[in-house]
Amino acid sequence: MSKQYLTLHTLPDAHPSDVFALAPTNRSILSASGSSTIRIHDTTQADFPLLQSLEGVHPLGIHHLATAREARRAASAGFEGKIKIWSEGEDGTWKADGEISDQLKAGDVWSIALSTDGKYLASSSINGKINVWSLAEEGNPKIRDYETKGSFGMCVDLSRDGRFTASGHENGSIYVFDNDTGRLTHSLAGLVKPVRSVAFSPSTTLLAAAGDSRTIALYDVKSGEQIANLAGHGGWVLSLDWSDTGEYLLSGSHDGKAKIWRIETRQCVATHSHGDKPLWTAKWLPKSTRSEMFALGGGNNAISFYREAAG
Amino acid sequence: MMDATVDADADELLFEPFLPSPPDSYSWDPSEQNLDDKILQGYLEDSQPISITELGEDGESSHGPVTPVPDRDCIIGRIEDMLERIVDGLLAGNEQLTINLKTRSGLSRRHQDAGTIPSARDIEISYPGNNAQDARRFTIVVRILELIHGCLIDDVIITKRDMYYRHPELFGKQPVVDRYVDDIACTLGVPRSLLNVTAAAKGLVAGNFVLSRADGTSMRGLSEPEGILVPTIQAGDVLDMSAVHWILVIEKEATFRSVLSSPLWKVLGTQGLVLTAKGYPDVVSRRFLLHLADDFPQISMHALVDLDPDGIHIMSTYKHGSLRLAHENVAHGNTPGVNLPNLQWIGVKSHHIDRASGNEGDTTTATLADAQGVMKLTARDRKKAHHMLEWGICREYGSEPAWRAELQRMLMLNIKAEMQILDELPGGLVLWLSSRLEVMQGGSSDDEILF
Repeated sequence: MSKQYLTLHTLPDAHPSDVFALAPTNRSILSASGSSTIRIHDTTQADFPLLQSLEGVHPLGIHHLATAREARRAASAGFEGKIKIWSEGEDGTWKADGEISDQLKAGDVWSIALSTDGKYLASSSINGKINVWSLAEEGNPKIRDYETKGSFGMCVDLSRDGRFTASGHENGSIYVFDNDTGRLTHSLAGLVKPVRSVAFSPSTTLLAAAGDSRTIALYDVKSGEQIANLAGHGGWVLSLDWSDTGEYLLSGSHDGKAKIWRIETRQCVATHSHGDKPLWTAKWLPKSTRSEMFALGGGNNAISFYREAAG
Repeated sequence: MMDATVDADADELLFEPFLPSPPDSYSWDPSEQNLDDKILQGYLEDSQPISITELGEDGESSHGPVTPVPDRDCIIGRIEDMLERIVDGLLAGNEQLTINLKTRSGLSRRHQDAGTIPSARDIEISYPGNNAQDARRFTIVVRILELIHGCLIDDVIITKRDMYYRHPELFGKQPVVDRYVDDIACTLGVPRSLLNVTAAAKGLVAGNFVLSRADGTSMRGLSEPEGILVPTIQAGDVLDMSAVHWILVIEKEATFRSVLSSPLWKVLGTQGLVLTAKGYPDVVSRRFLLHLADDFPQISMHALVDLDPDGIHIMSTYKHGSLRLAHENVAHGNTPGVNLPNLQWIGVKSHHIDRASGNEGDTTTATLADAQGVMKLTARDRKKAHHMLEWGICREYGSEPAWRAELQRMLMLNIKAEMQILDELPGGLVLWLSSRLEVMQGGSSDDEILF
C-alpha cells in the first residue's frame, strides 16, 4: 500500500542557513530561514525560479511563516519578536502590509497561522498565551486573548472554516478554542512531551498533533477524543500538514525524515529523507492541474520538491 | 558579564548580589585560600615581574609588531600623578575629589565586530559624592591604586585575590576588586599584568607536555592525575609540545575531571592537552592558550562547551576575548593579543542530541534527546540568545555563522544540553571525543561522519 513520490527539483542553497519555514500559495512558495530574507519561488515552472526576495525583513532570522489559502496575504515572525504582514499585488509582487506591534516584546510571539481568507492571524507565545488578531481592521487589533497554563506555545493552527484555534504546548498540552465564543472547547490529553505541531484537517473534523513523543495523535475535533496514533518517526516531529483532500498527512522530523500517512488506513505510505539535518518544515502545495506535490525544507539549507508518481 | 548587565548601569550592578560566573572572575571558596596563598607565595618569591612583552624568546613579543608599551617607571609615574591630584585636592580644601577612569564594563556586544576593539567609556568617581556608596567607591579605587603602586615600587606580583583579602570589609566582594583593577588598567591603557596584578590561576591543564623553567625546574602535564594549575609562561621557559597533536578546551571542570578519570585517558592523554578554566576563562588560561597557539600553530585547538547561550559565550571569550578586558588585547599596537582565531567548535551541537538511528517503526530506540541533560531554555537563556544574535560576530554575514545557526536552533527547539549528555553515547563522552578528535585531525570538517 505504499505510494511513490519522486524528487522533482531541489533548490540546493535556497537560503544561507537552516530553512525554518515554508508557506505555499497557489503559484509560489515563500521560504524563510536563519537569514533575514524571505524568498519566493515560482512553483508553476519546472525549475522553480526565484520570483522575489524580501531582503533584511527580520535581522535576527525568521522562525515562522504563514500564508492564507484563499487570499494573497502572508505573515512572518522573526527572532527579534516582530510579526510582519505581506500582501501580493495584482502583478504578483509581494509588499509589506503592516505589522502586529501591540506591545510585543522579543519572544512574545512564537508560532503563527493565517485564516483561509487572510483576515485573521493566530499566534502562540513563550508564556503560553494564544491570541487572534484581526488583519481586516485598522491597526490589526487583538480580538481574542486565550489564557493557558503558561507553558510555551510551540505551535498554533486555525481551522479552515475559521471557527477554531488550536495550540500545542511544551508541557504536552493541546487546546482547542472556539473563536466565535472565545471559549476553550477542548483540552486534549495524550501527549506528555512537547507538542511541536498541530494541524486541523481541511474539513475541520480532525486535529493532528505531534512532537517529542514521536507519534502523531489524531483527535476528533467535535468530541475531543483521541482516535488514532500514528507511530513510526524515529525523531521528534517538528511539522505536520494535511493534503487538500484530507486523505494524506505529511510529517517532518528532526532526524531529517518526512513521512506521508494515509488517514483512512492510518498507515505510513512513504518515507523520504531530506539529509540527516532537522527537517523543520514540510508542506503540501495546493493541488493544481499537476499531480500532488510537497516541499521539504530544513537544516541542509535546501528546499526539495516531490510529486506523486503517475499511475 | 551576564546579559542582565549588558545594558544596565555597571556601577549599580557592581554592588548588587554576586552574579554567577562573570567572565574573568569566579566565586571563591574559602578552602581555596591556602592554595591561593601558595600561589601568591610563588609569585612573591619570583622577583621577575610577569610581563607579556617578555613572553617570546629573546625578549621579543610573540604577537605582532612591537610598539612601545609603558614601562614600570612610567606606570608608577602615572599612578603617582593620579594620587597626587587627590592629595592636592585635599590640601586645597576642594569640596569634591574626583578620579577619572575609563571602563569597558557593561559594554554591549551589539556593535562589536570580530577583531575590532570597543572603545572605553569614561566614568567619574567622586568623594564625598552624592551618597555613602560614592564615598566608598572612591575609597576603594584609592586603596587599589595604593596597593598597585606599592607592588610596582617593590616589583612584586599581587593576585586580585590577595588584594581582596587585604580589605574584605571595604571591597565587600571579589568582583569589586576585579572590576576596578581592570578599569585602572583600562585607564592607563596597559594590560593588567603590567600593573603587577594577576588573576590567581584558576584553570587546570593536563596532557603530554613538559614546561622547563629557566631556573632548571620543570612541570610535566601528566604529573598529577587530576591536572595541574595552568602555569604562567615566562621568559626563558621552554615548552615541549612534541607529543601533543591536539588541544582541547573544556568548559566545565566536572567534564575535565571525567575525561582525566576515564580509562581511555591513558591513551588520549599521551596525544593531547586538555584545559579547563572552569567557566568563563581567566586571563592566565587564555594567555597560556595564546602562547600555545602562537608557538605551535600546527596543533589544532578545539572547544567542548555546553549547548546553551553561556556555552557559546564562553567559547567566544576563549576565541575572541572578553569585551570588558579588551585593553588586555591591545598591549602591542592594535594587534588583538589574547584570542584564538583558530579555535574549533567540537561540540555540543544540536545535531548531537537527536541522533536516533531511526529504525523504521522502532520508537523505543534510546536517543540522547530523552537523556538527562537535555533541558528547556529558561527565559534568561532565550533573552541571552536574542542578545547574542545581535553581536557583531553572530549577526547575519558575521564571522561566526555556525554560532548564529546553533543559537537559532536552540531557540527553535527551546532546548539546551550539557556536555554530559555525550556520556549517554555508546562508549561515553571520552570515546566520542577521541574519535571526533581523530576525525578532525584527519582534516575532515564533516560533523556528520560519526553519525
